[in-house]
Amino acid sequence: MNNVKRKPTTTTHTGVYKAESIKDVAESLGIGISDPVATALASDVEYRIHQVVEEAAKFMRHGRRTTMTTADIDHALRVLNIEPLYGHTPHNPPSFRRAPPFMTHPSSMNPANQNSASSTVYFVEDEELDFDRVLREEKIALPKGVSWTAHWLAVEGVQPLIPENPPAIPRDTGEAHLEAPSMNGTTAIPMTTVHGSGLFAQPSGGLVSTITSASTVGAAGTANAMVKKSTPTSAPPQSQNLVKQVLSRELQLYYSRLTGSLLPPSTSDWTKRSAALASLRNDAGLQALLPYLIRWVGEGVVGALKEGAQSENDGKILEVLMDVISAILENQTLFVEPYLHQLLPPLLSTLLHSSLPPTHSTQLRISASQTLSRLLTTHSTTYPSLSPRIMKTLLLALISPSKSKGSREGAVWGLVGVGKEAVRKGVVEGGGARVLGDEYAPKEGEQEDGLVKAVVSALRVLHPRSETDMNDGLDPDIPSDKQVIEQLEEVLGEYFASKVLGEGDAAWARAILGKEEDV
Amino acid sequence: MTSPAASSPPTQDPDPFHNVSPQERAVLDYLRTRGYSAAEKALLASIEAASSEEKEKAETIAAEELVKTLAVFTQDPSRSGTNALKDSSNVLQELNSLGTPANLQNLIASIGNVGAEEILSLDPTDKQEGFRELETWVEGSLDMYRPEFRPILFPIFCHFYLDLIQRGFKDAALRFFREFSPSLAPAHSNTLHHLSTLLLPAHVQSDETAQHLLNEKYMIRMSRSGFSLLVGWLTEGVGGEALGSGLGFSGEKGKRGRAAVMRVVNNHLRFDVTTTKSSAISPSTWEETTGLLSSLIPQPNGSSSATKLFDPRAFNMSKGDLKLGPAPINEELRTETERVLREQAMVERDQSVQYDIALTKPQPLPGQTAPAESDLLPRPPHFKTVDVDREVSAVRDARRQIRLDPSVLNNVDPNSPQASAVRARALPSICAYTLHDVVEGAPCCTFSKDTSLMAVGFAESYIRLWSLKGEKLRGMRSDFSASQIRDPPSLRRVKEKKGSTTRKLIGHSGPVYSVAFDPVSGSAAPPKHLLSASADGTARLWSLDTMTNVVAFRGHENPIWDVKWSPMGIYFATASRDRTARLWSTDRINCLRIYAGHLGDVDCLQFHPNSLYLATGSSDWTARLWDVQRGSCVRVFIGHQGGISSMAISPDGRYLASAGEDLTINLWDIGSGKRIKKMTGHSASVYSLAFSQESSLLVSGGADWTVRCWDVKGAGGPKARENGATDSGIVQKYGEENNNETADLVATFPTKRTPIINVQFTPRNLCLVGGVYQAPETR
Repeated sequence: MNNVKRKPTTTTHTGVYKAESIKDVAESLGIGISDPVATALASDVEYRIHQVVEEAAKFMRHGRRTTMTTADIDHALRVLNIEPLYGHTPHNPPSFRRAPPFMTHPSSMNPANQNSASSTVYFVEDEELDFDRVLREEKIALPKGVSWTAHWLAVEGVQPLIPENPPAIPRDTGEAHLEAPSMNGTTAIPMTTVHGSGLFAQPSGGLVSTITSASTVGAAGTANAMVKKSTPTSAPPQSQNLVKQVLSRELQLYYSRLTGSLLPPSTSDWTKRSAALASLRNDAGLQALLPYLIRWVGEGVVGALKEGAQSENDGKILEVLMDVISAILENQTLFVEPYLHQLLPPLLSTLLHSSLPPTHSTQLRISASQTLSRLLTTHSTTYPSLSPRIMKTLLLALISPSKSKGSREGAVWGLVGVGKEAVRKGVVEGGGARVLGDEYAPKEGEQEDGLVKAVVSALRVLHPRSETDMNDGLDPDIPSDKQVIEQLEEVLGEYFASKVLGEGDAAWARAILGKEEDV
Repeated sequence: MTSPAASSPPTQDPDPFHNVSPQERAVLDYLRTRGYSAAEKALLASIEAASSEEKEKAETIAAEELVKTLAVFTQDPSRSGTNALKDSSNVLQELNSLGTPANLQNLIASIGNVGAEEILSLDPTDKQEGFRELETWVEGSLDMYRPEFRPILFPIFCHFYLDLIQRGFKDAALRFFREFSPSLAPAHSNTLHHLSTLLLPAHVQSDETAQHLLNEKYMIRMSRSGFSLLVGWLTEGVGGEALGSGLGFSGEKGKRGRAAVMRVVNNHLRFDVTTTKSSAISPSTWEETTGLLSSLIPQPNGSSSATKLFDPRAFNMSKGDLKLGPAPINEELRTETERVLREQAMVERDQSVQYDIALTKPQPLPGQTAPAESDLLPRPPHFKTVDVDREVSAVRDARRQIRLDPSVLNNVDPNSPQASAVRARALPSICAYTLHDVVEGAPCCTFSKDTSLMAVGFAESYIRLWSLKGEKLRGMRSDFSASQIRDPPSLRRVKEKKGSTTRKLIGHSGPVYSVAFDPVSGSAAPPKHLLSASADGTARLWSLDTMTNVVAFRGHENPIWDVKWSPMGIYFATASRDRTARLWSTDRINCLRIYAGHLGDVDCLQFHPNSLYLATGSSDWTARLWDVQRGSCVRVFIGHQGGISSMAISPDGRYLASAGEDLTINLWDIGSGKRIKKMTGHSASVYSLAFSQESSLLVSGGADWTVRCWDVKGAGGPKARENGATDSGIVQKYGEENNNETADLVATFPTKRTPIINVQFTPRNLCLVGGVYQAPETR
């Protein structure tokens, strides 16, 4: 009995159907059959299944498919003059579930199974559906109708590189790619794989389950085999072509050398650093590196600022990074626009951070603002919303009360970078100068700090000092001049008004008030 | 002839000869153990009836050659059978007195006692032993003989397996199969798999393949020297084996094994001994001339076994020449066409009208016989405007077509700069139509000749039409009376008001396996009719004016796999699972001709361009060419190692290309029926083939998501390797995946994930391919 069906599944698929299954079915029908009969019947059942499957394979082939479906089995049964198995569709394949061993009635157990306790029982899961719930909840999505597209697969013998065609691949990997579909069911010899894939795909699962009908006890091996085998065949071939851009070795080397010579910024290798920056400013062909460089800069800035950024070293790092950004922006061959959103955060962080290292703070903010200015002049034409948005950020930093002095200084420098209009809006009309003058006006005898310098230079933007202009001061006695002085004090606050007036430049003062045209 | 084993029940009662003398019993036992159950039965009968007329044995040795060469050996078993009948009482003595073959005496001596005899009668190991020895012998033979000997393994394997199954030794059969099938699997996996499903004697009795094997002779081709080596081995156990193996094959077991092989050789094999040197025969010849050929080749009526044809070439020769030239064109139609062409040329001030007019008269290629008007299928005597339009546009297409000449690629380095310019002259532009969101699959797809329409048959039993030009497809309203229609405007009035660029045609009740547009209007106008074939056993004719089903042609009781219009319309042919192809005309509901003879499903068919012949491809691995009118088979094409899935005939009428499930494409010369070459390269089934208008380029599309272009005139053969050596392997193995592309594969165009179900050329040599995109996540 045991050695009746010792057929390895490695070479063929015979011997799938076990004599035990026959006995189980017979038992379920109330018929007792002997071992030889069961064995003979099992062989026959298997032969019949193969007959059906071979017939079904024809339908599969003519259906131009490489996977057998339940419909193929149905058609095969029909032409063999057998009633088709209703209720099996390829869309919801039957799922087999493993049942715990059934041990209550040893007497009713199959004697053949007694010695093999491992024979697990599988049954088809028959989900119960609540009609109400289905009708209420399930939205049946209508499938999209069939549609067609046309594209050139080849133009005069050359395959165009368009999205509809697979990417051009080197010859040797191309072979592997082309063989991928054959893994999907039809290899060199279609017939065998038809059986390989077809038999173990869902349809025959349905077939076997019906043959074993109610009592699925002992179909264990069969079902097991089916379930196991169906996994590899139903898995879609992993041939999706991930579009990967791989950095060449040279670029990788360049990147590591570049970043290595830029940071850490020791004073000794100044020449190296300037060479690196010059390379970054002028060399072509770095586009592939751009995302990496920008990420490197962003991480560097975050790293420097996170640690409080008090040491001189941090300042140097930030300085270098600002230089890198400006170098990137200066390089004519780089296409920076897609990365602007990644470039701005490090810039603005440097600009607006509350506590930059004291040794470098002004220098850093100035250089950041200059870089920002350059960025905006080149790219605000393509992104009209860019400068208003940056201005908004800067204004917020300038005026909102909780900001630190450093941030405000940065904001002023930033506005200078954005341009004349921004300075007018923020420092003059927005009352930035007045607020700052009230809060941070240096006491008598103190040195003018960076903030004051920033505001003054911001105001200077409104009317660049020129040599040719006559520098005549405002005379408080002349009514028109007096009016200007009053307005100036009103707009800028006392401190900065006096600073402006102290320069003795009437044109400037008028320009600040927007009265240039009057002169 | 039926096999002796098949005719006698395997579980024969050991007691039928209870009234036989001991000597006779000994002889009977001997015969039984050697498997000569027929002889044994005959002996029994003769003992009982005292008649000694038994000549069956003589018939089993078919080849006289064999009889002569095997004289030493065959004498023993056969004479022991026949002689015994004459004087049954002293056979044993006679055998002893014969004395010449010492081994036979040994054999008899060894089976003298009853115990051994029992074991022998039940022990199936002789098969195993015999096959192992045969295999060792074949593999150990000289290189020059090995390809010659290899084909012998397969039939012997099959017969051993079937024999074991028939005798009920299932275990032994399975063991045998397990042990030896792997070595045969690469070339014969289909048949092997089928055999492995046979497990009970009843299966063997009812199974067709098994019956073919048992009842027909398996053809083996061998050179004279090879054959004598084989005979030597079978008789003496020596000859041809590897050096140094000594007398490895002698001994008791070896002899029994060889005897088993010998029996199969005698009963089921037929040797075609050629005088050519074994090295001169190409491996492809083995494919074409071995196998169960007698049933595949149509036999003349009333032919006895002696006159049976075993060589497809002989059959093809016997059928005489074919008229493969282009069909003549009606003289009136031709003058009319010329007139219209001249008129048009006048209007367009075209100077090349003389050249155009020459094209109206098709010229047969040298060596081709053109059919006469009377040879063609009957057609209406008068031509219509649409015929003139068709001919005119055919001439213009011929002039404007893109010339494709793949032969220019032959001496061009593919990497050189001028290669791209050369490729443009050699290779077509291919436009791919990809279907998306197909649920169950679309088995077929076709484009109309004027490329205005695409029809796709779906597994969900409907056909969908698309206008490729974006025009609205409008049918007719159903609420009008025929009497209202008098002139074209009134006909236009009953057209549907609304329409979309796609239209569903519903009528079939099974998957639609084939669709075809009628060729009457050619490339001049959209077609008027569409034919479809389905699993429901009907072919349907659809009118594209009314967008309705006009006729359902019933006759095939089984699924129809393919339908094709004859090149001039009116007639069409269907191929069905019922193993026949049928010819129909659109105005009759019954078929006109039935082409029967294939041993398996007729999977595909193709009309010859002059409509005199019809080519059919079948699951029995052969293609046939039929005389359409007479209904007789005129050519048989044997050489595929799997069912034939697709065919194409070149527009010049000379070549037939067939693609098989063995993933090869064979190119045949229709006139001689000979295979020109075998083209390999596809890694999955080939679904469609098409020739370019000049017949110089063949394009194939298949399940491996590629479209491939083949040089028809190219030499083919294995591709030259980088180092200059060609892999002229002794036996081409089918399992070899890497670098199995033949040299005539000039281009491969992969698609993303689209199996190509249709490939066709427009009259101007643009290639159109259609396929269904398979989303990566199918379930």
